[in-house]
Amino acid sequence: MNLFRSGEHIRPWLAGRGPGATIPVEKLSELAHAWWDDRLSPYWRPHTRDGNQAILDRLGLAGDFWRLPGS
Amino acid sequence: MNDDDLVLRNLTYARFVGLGRAPTADEVAVAGGCDRAEVMGGWERLYAEHALVLDLAAGSIRMANPFSGVPTGYRVHAGGRWWYGNCAWDAFGICAALHADGRIEASCPDCGQSMQIAVRDQRPDDASLLFHCLVPAARWWDDIGFT
Repeated sequence: MNLFRSGEHIRPWLAGRGPGATIPVEKLSELAHAWWDDRLSPYWRPHTRDGNQAILDRLGLAGDFWRLPGS
Repeated sequence: MNDDDLVLRNLTYARFVGLGRAPTADEVAVAGGCDRAEVMGGWERLYAEHALVLDLAAGSIRMANPFSGVPTGYRVHAGGRWWYGNCAWDAFGICAALHADGRIEASCPDCGQSMQIAVRDQRPDDASLLFHCLVPAARWWDDIGFT
């Protein structure tokens, strides 16, 4: 899960491997804040699979690539 | 996750943030008023539930996501301290977990050029960068170190 300067830098880095998913860094920041915001709360409870999937879905991260196991 | 493991998990995270690094099992045992074996047993159950990641050979914390217990290529300054994120996602996650603005330092995995990103009010100051996730979500925990 890496950050790149541009798409021109992802292709050579893949070195023939199939590409995964690419999203803008602003979307990544949204995702990170939705995913990790409660991590230090004394009231933290484990996220459910469906709760995590709902975060991905709400941010438009849809399709098989972003489908968590157990569905 | 049972209640005892939840308490241990929260104590472990609190010590991580308090120390600015991964706590040792002995440090958590002292903080929790228990013994090291109890901490290790709890950590192993938490690892099995993907609540943290252990270096089993060393008996230490490898990841308390989004924080890394070991140096990585994603350094984050937030909350008055330097941290390591496990990956780009976790680097932003450190700002999120601390509820703080921050600065991320990394380098492009392709060309090695350094990148500095300020995060203010949950937004990066350089919108030109791209995040690439190689492993599909269904396989993230197959090898979390690689993911």
